[in-house]
Amino acid sequence: MSIAMILLALAVGCYAVAVLESWAVHGRLSLTRPATSALALLGREQIMPRTPDRLFFESGPVLLLVAGLLSVAVIPLAPGLIITDLAIGALFLNAALAYVLVALIMAGWGPNGAYGMIGGWRFLGQFIAYAMLIVMPITAVAMRAESLSTTQIVLSQAALWNVAYQPIGFVLFVIAAMGVAWLPPIDLPTGGGDLAGGVEAEYTGARLAVLRLARLVIIVALASATVTFYLGGWLGPWLPGWVWTALKTLAVAAGMLALGSRLPRLREAKYLELSWKLGITLALANIFLVGVIALVVPI
Amino acid sequence: MSLATALFLAFFGVAAIWFGIVVFRTHSMVRSAIALLFSQTAIGAMFLVMQAEFLGVLQIMMMATEMSVMAIFMVMFMMDPGGMGKMDMTHQKRLSLWAGGIGLVAALVVIWTAGWQGPVPDVPGADEQARLLGREILGRSMFIFESAALMILTAMIAATMVAIAPQEEDTP
Amino acid sequence: MMDLSGARQGLLRGFRGLVAGAMARDLRAFVIPGEDIANARGLDLDAAGLIRAVTPRHANVLLIAGPLPTALADAASVVWAQMPRPRCILALGEVDLGPLPTADVTAEMSQAGLISGLEDLRKLLRNGAFAPDITEFDAPALSERIEYTCPMHPEVVSDEPGKCPKCGMFLVERRVSGAASHGHEGHEGHEGHEGHEGHEGHEGHEKSSTGSTQAEKAHHHADAVTSAEASTSYVCPMHPEVTSDTPGSCPKCGMDLVPQAEAGEHAHQGHHAHHGHGHHAKPASEPTGPYTCPMHPEVTSETPGSCPKCGMDLVPQAEAGGHAHSGHGSHKHHAHTPAQEGQGGHAAHGAHGQQDAHSEHHGHAGHGAAPDIPGIEPHFMSMVELTEGKPVSPDGLVMEWIDAPFGPFFPGLPSGLHMVLTLDGDSVAGAEIRGMEAAALPSGVALEDFAASLADAVPLSPVAMRELACRAAEAATGQTAPKDVLTARAAAVERERIASHLNWLAGLARQAGLAPLGRRAAAMEHRVRTAKADEVAEQATSITSLLHVALNRSLMGPKLTGIGTLQGASEGPVARAAGHASDARHGDGVYDELGFEPITQDEGDAMARLRQRCAEIAQSLDLIAEAGAIAIPVMPRAKGDGHGMATLETPRGPATLHLTLKGGMVSSTHLTTPFAALAAHVPDLIKQMELADALTAIASLDLDPWSASQ
Repeated sequence: MSIAMILLALAVGCYAVAVLESWAVHGRLSLTRPATSALALLGREQIMPRTPDRLFFESGPVLLLVAGLLSVAVIPLAPGLIITDLAIGALFLNAALAYVLVALIMAGWGPNGAYGMIGGWRFLGQFIAYAMLIVMPITAVAMRAESLSTTQIVLSQAALWNVAYQPIGFVLFVIAAMGVAWLPPIDLPTGGGDLAGGVEAEYTGARLAVLRLARLVIIVALASATVTFYLGGWLGPWLPGWVWTALKTLAVAAGMLALGSRLPRLREAKYLELSWKLGITLALANIFLVGVIALVVPI
Repeated sequence: MSLATALFLAFFGVAAIWFGIVVFRTHSMVRSAIALLFSQTAIGAMFLVMQAEFLGVLQIMMMATEMSVMAIFMVMFMMDPGGMGKMDMTHQKRLSLWAGGIGLVAALVVIWTAGWQGPVPDVPGADEQARLLGREILGRSMFIFESAALMILTAMIAATMVAIAPQEEDTP
Repeated sequence: MMDLSGARQGLLRGFRGLVAGAMARDLRAFVIPGEDIANARGLDLDAAGLIRAVTPRHANVLLIAGPLPTALADAASVVWAQMPRPRCILALGEVDLGPLPTADVTAEMSQAGLISGLEDLRKLLRNGAFAPDITEFDAPALSERIEYTCPMHPEVVSDEPGKCPKCGMFLVERRVSGAASHGHEGHEGHEGHEGHEGHEGHEGHEKSSTGSTQAEKAHHHADAVTSAEASTSYVCPMHPEVTSDTPGSCPKCGMDLVPQAEAGEHAHQGHHAHHGHGHHAKPASEPTGPYTCPMHPEVTSETPGSCPKCGMDLVPQAEAGGHAHSGHGSHKHHAHTPAQEGQGGHAAHGAHGQQDAHSEHHGHAGHGAAPDIPGIEPHFMSMVELTEGKPVSPDGLVMEWIDAPFGPFFPGLPSGLHMVLTLDGDSVAGAEIRGMEAAALPSGVALEDFAASLADAVPLSPVAMRELACRAAEAATGQTAPKDVLTARAAAVERERIASHLNWLAGLARQAGLAPLGRRAAAMEHRVRTAKADEVAEQATSITSLLHVALNRSLMGPKLTGIGTLQGASEGPVARAAGHASDARHGDGVYDELGFEPITQDEGDAMARLRQRCAEIAQSLDLIAEAGAIAIPVMPRAKGDGHGMATLETPRGPATLHLTLKGGMVSSTHLTTPFAALAAHVPDLIKQMELADALTAIASLDLDPWSASQ
């Protein structure tokens, strides 16, 4: 039952994010556009590029979708409303997101085209930039909760949300999450001006629809992970818990999309440099600070 | 161990071996790397079936990234990474056959002679496992892990240095 | 009921009806020649609510915004073939579509035409997205034929397999694009069309080098480049006594100098490249058995089998040689296994061509044979051998290089600019601009017609071209316009400068992923392009605030600073951004009266160019306010003969027009624009830059390939 409810919520969330994204990209708010776009995609011809690595070409989008769905599995919508409440949920989320990388490499390599291939390998090239900044802030979050379970992490924020307890970690995590979901300004694998669609460039029709859906799922997963780790999950007054989770998730997603449309695409080298030199240092400092606070102040 | 668990364990075990074979059966470097990845993922899934949640998930996570990094190194350094040239990557077949055969016999001997006492009756809960692992890694085994990490780092840097061909301006 | 030219096969029933309705509402256009040209021709795509696709694969509408030169029409046919069905064409204005099918909807070249055209397209799609019978699309640029050639004698080309009449060797097959067949007259018409066009994923435009077709092209290409580089002497087409070692303009007439080689050898280059290919095909040191190991050339055998050293399959020697393309006889080319053919994007065959030029700088002679290690068979997968002969990047990592085509419709580049970038991983190892063949200007026409066709030929700055024609005509006929008319005409050029710079800003913003800023700049451009002087003044504040936003956008500095620093440019905004105060307006009487002083920046990088163009927009606003009125130049009536020359600072730099009148008609013309000189800087400018940075650098130059010298 809870699985069905969460999948329903996920579907609604994906649609809402699609509406927001098309608003941010095309400048027009249309509630029906994602539906018409998806239908139109289903009707389009599916073109197989010449001499593809067919296995990768076909399985890349599907693996991406699976990775997104698995990462959603450990996000609590409300107390008890979670697909699987693993004791090591936060680690599981990381593991699932690691396959976003694998899927993009496969989807980029499969079609045998320069733009897609560069896009896929680029995403791997940026790996350190986002992966470390996902893992290290989560470490600090788990330190405070003294658990890797996502439910425990939400409960640990009852007195004070992590966004106030460890703001450095929050900022780093949001930036890294945008990198994992290749949202602008870090949309390096697909950058329209650089790679003409990059990884997506050779996909058409239903395969493109799967790829786009998978990306939406990943955006929702990362936004809801941000909510779980830093914004107190379902905690909030007056409204039922699941409403709070949903509202916060949409707000985070909208914030990411708004940020993306206002910033120029980051230069690859700059992004990597900032993440290595500044990001990882800050993340280590964050872990240290949280450790000290957790030892000294009991909240 | 219940029948379902045993079946799952066998399934993932066979999958791991099958992907391991695919590594050598394909001509494509990238496919080879990804097959190795999924072989390791299957081993991670076996950990999960055996209720070692932390280790299983860790294995699944680390292998995804490690094998991807390996794939990009293969693409960078190897000719014909797509395997379109159908280049034969095997070599020293007789030696490998012998090594494989001896390894198989050794494994069978270990399996037959070890005094199996059946599965541990009460597996601690996943969070308890994580806690115990943490104490182990940050206690008794800390030195081993730290030195291993340092060695891997050194090896990575050294391997890259060796792989890059010397340039003319480097040699006086 | 007319069918859609690009309908998808199937009956329009049930679910498909729903889908067709959705498609009609979800139009995604791939704009040809590009958004900058569409903007300049007065189309406001955002106002029409049209969503643009970044690749033809995601588009269902091919929007053709105005006339195309022939070369671009060919490229457009490749784009069309890449679009998934159902697809349709909307042509605005009177366009010769060349190989494309007839446009589904044709409308006039205006915003109203665009909107009504889109409306008609929607209806068409709703009713005709699926059709039981569909027409296949084919075009010369898509066709591919297999021809057979002798590995030893490249001049032997046959359409059928067989033996070489000269040496008796078996001919080897290769694929050739129909479009690249200029070298072999008499072989057209034998095209073996492979597959159905929709599934071809054709390489011409967006795709990487799929298969050997592209490789063949790349070979031709690389060699042609080398031969052009070999003779770096530039000569004036009019004054042969003027020669120079660097590109530039003639001190006598101001025309662009052309490479000397180009004059005589151009016609033969295609063929020439073939010779090169052939000579490389058979290195002198190759042993003589018919079968050899691709890794161990010393292993030869009379019969097929496997290599005793590494177990690889032996390959026919001729084939090995033919593909190895080892230019330096003494090198053993293990790296290029024969069957690499067809590997496409992953193995850039074009790189082999490059290596000739490259090896002059980085000799590979230093790599000896790998030392024997006990227990390991010698030469087993030795990196030194595997990578021998491959071009080496400055970072020392030897990789396969990819020749990736960018343009002529690449969304991040000026439309019509066709480049081939040799990519070493994600960095640019080499670049080549394939010029756009501009339509020849008419001669023997009346002055007014000439000005109109010049303005049409350079759609990004039509008013400046008109003014230029006007000034040249005045110089030729000795007439002068009253001062207030001259001032108003200068104001028209300044208005166009504002519009052009805004259009450039919109393009840069789109490329950088700043969609909202791009929309704002494009919308502002539409408001300014045809505004009167007082309307321009009304817009001044909002333009200034737009410029402020563009300059102070967070992360804009890190994105552009230090990118594409170019101190070598001598003219135009690019030179002024680097501190050279060269401006054709300086010293021009009309502008002096308006109080014009050139503006300059120092750094000469992309950020300085942004600042420079923003400052020039502000300056042009002031100049228009000072002038008080805007008037489109009107050509003087001409009688008699004469020769006139005029230079004008267009938005991209000074353009010079020579005009000869005979009997009141234009008999000969020559136009020089900043494009060639600026484009010549590009390959050096972007060498070893990351791809994204390189594209940013090119975008910041504001190249206008449409104005290529005519």
